Amino acid sequence: MEVGEYYMMAPFVLPGYPLCSVYPYLQTFPAIVPEDRNHFIFWRKEDMKRRLALLLSAAMLTVSLAGCGGGNSSSSGNAGSGNASGEAAGGGAAGGGAAGGAAAGHKETLIIGTDTDINNLDLQKQQDQINNIILKNTHQTLVFFNNGSSGDVRFDPCLATSWEFVDDTHIEMKLRDDVYFNDGAQTPMTAEDVKFTLDMAMDNMVASVLTGYVQCTVKDEHTIEIEIEKYNNEFVQSLASLPLAIQSKKAYDDGVENPYYIGTGPYKFDEWVEGEYCRLVKVEDYWGNEIPASENLAPGVAEVLEFRPYIEASSRVMALQAGEIDVCINPPINELQYLEEDENITVYEQTGTRLFYFAFNVEKAPWDNQTLRQAVACAIDRNAVLEAAVYGKGTPQTTILNRGLWGFYDEMDGFDYDVERAKSLMAEAGYPDGGLTTTLSYATGTPYEQIATIIQANLADIGITVTLEPMETATLKSACVDGSQELFLWRWNEDSKVDFVYRDLFYTGSGSNYHHYGDPKADEMIDIVATEKDEEKRLETARELQTYLVDACPQVPLYIANLVIAYNKDLQGQYFYGGGNHDWRHAYIAQ
Amino acid sequence: MLKYILKRLVMLIPVIMVTSFLIFWAMSLTGGDPALMLAGDNAKPEQIEQIREELGLNDPFIVRYGNYMKGMITGDMGQSYVTKRDVFKTFMERLPNTLMLGGAAVLIAVVVSLPLGIYTAIHQNTWKDTAGMIFALFGTSMPNFWLGLMLIILFSLKLGLFPTGGKGGLDSLVLPAVTVGFGLAALITRTTRSSMLDVLRQDYMTTARAKGCSEKQVITVHGLKNALIPIITAIGLQMSLVITGSVLAETVFSWPGIGRLVYDSISKRDVPMVTGAIIMCSILMCVINLVVDLIYAFFDPRIKAQYSKKG
Repeated sequence: MEVGEYYMMAPFVLPGYPLCSVYPYLQTFPAIVPEDRNHFIFWRKEDMKRRLALLLSAAMLTVSLAGCGGGNSSSSGNAGSGNASGEAAGGGAAGGGAAGGAAAGHKETLIIGTDTDINNLDLQKQQDQINNIILKNTHQTLVFFNNGSSGDVRFDPCLATSWEFVDDTHIEMKLRDDVYFNDGAQTPMTAEDVKFTLDMAMDNMVASVLTGYVQCTVKDEHTIEIEIEKYNNEFVQSLASLPLAIQSKKAYDDGVENPYYIGTGPYKFDEWVEGEYCRLVKVEDYWGNEIPASENLAPGVAEVLEFRPYIEASSRVMALQAGEIDVCINPPINELQYLEEDENITVYEQTGTRLFYFAFNVEKAPWDNQTLRQAVACAIDRNAVLEAAVYGKGTPQTTILNRGLWGFYDEMDGFDYDVERAKSLMAEAGYPDGGLTTTLSYATGTPYEQIATIIQANLADIGITVTLEPMETATLKSACVDGSQELFLWRWNEDSKVDFVYRDLFYTGSGSNYHHYGDPKADEMIDIVATEKDEEKRLETARELQTYLVDACPQVPLYIANLVIAYNKDLQGQYFYGGGNHDWRHAYIAQ
Repeated sequence: MLKYILKRLVMLIPVIMVTSFLIFWAMSLTGGDPALMLAGDNAKPEQIEQIREELGLNDPFIVRYGNYMKGMITGDMGQSYVTKRDVFKTFMERLPNTLMLGGAAVLIAVVVSLPLGIYTAIHQNTWKDTAGMIFALFGTSMPNFWLGLMLIILFSLKLGLFPTGGKGGLDSLVLPAVTVGFGLAALITRTTRSSMLDVLRQDYMTTARAKGCSEKQVITVHGLKNALIPIITAIGLQMSLVITGSVLAETVFSWPGIGRLVYDSISKRDVPMVTGAIIMCSILMCVINLVVDLIYAFFDPRIKAQYSKKG
């Protein structure tokens, strides 16, 4: 059937009509598949039920628009002549455009559409990425994680100018002497504020970030000495964590309302309306106003940064297309091609850091059998998983470490997709005929459901019957901690510290070791990577550890998802992190 | 009458008791440790334990419930586990948004469905009636999120008339209100039609005509007034549902209402927020039901007399 004939049946489908946004819902109607953004085709199947479903859905939509839009055919006709691109290009709806007061050459407000709700901006009482992305503009840390953007050194001085280990357990840190808080009184930031912040962290939920911290001693106004339990290669890097950004002791002492809002960053809080937006304004008397724009601590550019949650992915995409927001975080992968067609929008993609994996509870029989786990690893088709989960936008992975982290090594043999090898390993493990029945637990929603379905089919090929058990994240997490799960799907996102992967996921007794894996040899290697000062030996151990863990197979790494983000084509000055902790401090819309 | 109202308000107390107990119980049954969700992925077991201790999650169910109710009596509904903000205050911040959306949706529904219901009843078994009923059928069947997205595509992207979402000026209310109102309109249209059909068959309608009343008078004064009770019931029920359950529309349109608040809180195991919000919703539903009952009395003197007797 021709497209033109289809228009007659469902006049809401129009040339230039962005159906992209409703694609996921179209999947509810199996008789229809969008061929491209403007057209539908009929799926030529003899199944009468499907055709009936098509007719019904087309009729429903036509009538719905008639009821609500006032006259279906005329409104459709008008829509056809309308130009969404034109609206987006105007950008008038986006924060009022460039006002007279704005610096020449950029729009006054930069609006970022987020995929989750902002829920708590008290630095040390939250762990959510979205909160930290906002706080990164208003607060500054002692050390800055640059993600390798300035060469091999991944951690730059920030509020601290330098640091050195006095001995294995004492670090002396020099602080900048020109920094003051955005409290209206230009209160200087001193060593007392640093001590106050770190001590306070130990009483809050972010204490896990500062593991090993003993105390902080003020040596002089701009020098501190941090004592740690034992030497650790990554302790200083911990100080780059946003919840440990320096807060004003005076604000707490004076009983200021919401003292955690006061930071030293290039932006400060203006207004946060829960569920609606969080607005930051540029600090006019920012302490770093004289710092050149090319440097990390340079002042902001856009006068206002606004973060607006659009939880529903399609709504977020449409808000970007309509020019109401300038950035769409995490656009749905299946709608990317439509965004790419929009000349006012840039779709950016880079390798990410978030590792999705399939895992075993190794304490539960029969998954305590290493050879059996290896058989399962060989039976999983990672490319099929990648295709189903993220339309191929990612990289299949062999090692257990997040891509981009220090010592990342993916060259080991591992367990590639090989059903024959899987079957032979099954026999070796004592299950020549398969006959196993098990349960795979995972969090509801994308991409876990897609991954689970592929793995269920893969394991059926080697005689393992898998029952799928989707559950809410909170329930799954509890099950994993209790150890009641058998097989499970999980993800881990770490872009700066390797110890947060090795120790948290694989060290005996660790709270996030949902595999319940415990091996003294692995523990020893994890400790060496954490504490060995000889870089060469450390690197060698890191590779050996990864190879050892891949072989032990408590988990089967599947893929690293790409970072995908869509934004106004005139966006400049932003910096993207593969893990999603983007830097908007110097971003703006050029005009 | 006043006594009756007071009696109904006093009856709220057991409702709150039962609701709070049930929701507390349900949340305790649904697995998923709030401390784990709060602590984040990297937390150490001792920190999780500390959070559990701070939140009182180690106490037995009945102790936790007792503590919660103790707070309730003094007007303290607790603090959200996630945002650390006062539950009552958070709820009250979101309530006007939901009331605005619900009110506008019901208004749109009533304005569309009352005339349509009357019209289809008068023209029963004609093509006009069939067209109206098809509209009602599709309104009932149409998924909210789908309709919402279609309206955004048409009126925001193509025509640029309204914002795609968020809560801004009155223009941002139009699309979500139409989306929610459309489903309500369908149900109210059906109720109005069937109620009017019942009334139109009554003898007093013939009497009215025999007395020389115009057809317009017969329909609006004699017919509609007598048909209103089931219609008001339907509107009241819909209003209750809209206030407590516009999750989909609120999500599609990024509308910061109660539905979204409850949904987010459930997924984060924010027990105080969920419990507080549901208790407040049940109170709201009771109040709406009471208002509906009082409106009955306004339209039907027989009911008013009964209330007075009961009072």
